[in-house]
Amino acid sequence: MSTPSITALPDGGLKSPGAGLITLDPVRTALLRGLDDLLTGLAARLGAPEVLGPPLLSVEGLARLDFFRNFPHLGVSAARFAPAALDGLAAGEAPGDLPLRPTGHLLPSATCYGLLLSLEGRDVGEEGLRLSASGRCFRNETHYDGLRRLWGFHMREVLYLGTKQGAVEHLEQGAGFILEAAARLGMELDRAVADDPFYDKGGARARLMALDPVKHEFSAPDGTAIASVNRHRNFFGERLDIRAGSAGPAYSACVAFGLERWVHAMVLTHGSPERALDRLHDAAL
Amino acid sequence: MDRIAAWLHEKNPGLDGPIAADEDLIEARLIDSMDFLEFVDLLEKLSGTTIDLQEVTIDDFRTLDNVQKRFLAACP
Repeated sequence: MSTPSITALPDGGLKSPGAGLITLDPVRTALLRGLDDLLTGLAARLGAPEVLGPPLLSVEGLARLDFFRNFPHLGVSAARFAPAALDGLAAGEAPGDLPLRPTGHLLPSATCYGLLLSLEGRDVGEEGLRLSASGRCFRNETHYDGLRRLWGFHMREVLYLGTKQGAVEHLEQGAGFILEAAARLGMELDRAVADDPFYDKGGARARLMALDPVKHEFSAPDGTAIASVNRHRNFFGERLDIRAGSAGPAYSACVAFGLERWVHAMVLTHGSPERALDRLHDAAL
Repeated sequence: MDRIAAWLHEKNPGLDGPIAADEDLIEARLIDSMDFLEFVDLLEKLSGTTIDLQEVTIDDFRTLDNVQKRFLAACP
């Protein structure tokens, strides 16, 4: 019995559906999956169980996290066609001009929001809680740029909730892991203070963040930030009434990886997707 | 310093009792980031000077002790 050979892609490869939207070819897909497996090593090291966040987030929940105050421009809305439009659509009308109705939900712009909202009102104890998840995230951007800046991308996060000291240790361990994983993959990363993409760059939150950075990014040699460590102080704990036992509102922190950007950085470092995949296989052994 | 303590209590209604002079106002988010510029305004009013955010560090705002030393030392 013969084994079917892998089907070759047609000439020209896979077409991109539009700006900020890319269909990953088989080699890049293998890279993304393999990198995600390798980066899940942080979750394994920290004992963070794997969960799957919700595919949509309520605008009411996001508003309580100040999402719209900070990032009104990023939100990609989930909408549905107005009932009056359905007959026309079914009759072949072009969907582009038909009215949409909001559903009260947005696609996630970061993996941790759905996890945080799922913990509302809970007590994570003084030992704290870690969760790991990977999900597709969506952000409206002013421009798109290959795998570096996409409309939708995969973000893996390892989230911690617990004490102030626990949050500090989580980020130290996360930062160590990021550099170690990159070194195994043959990449050197630069660590630098970073801004979140606030809409109001002169606003109070952005000004305080400039004085007291809560985000550090790790960047490939071409400047692409592929991972970050983020501390939230006790903001989410207070807003969502998540407690850390007798320590009060939980402090939280997360370590985040942009998977398509890791694919980009690996291809950049090793010259081709195939060589990058070989290096990943060596590193994963 | 009473005005500052009053402002902090107004912004944090759940806060019981006095705020220790060495309590970390930033990490505990007693000065929430959305209120930060309002806090700077208050300090400017109390001190009668302009605060240039390019010339301060976060530690200047971190505790009541530090705020007193950095911004209000000249105040009666």
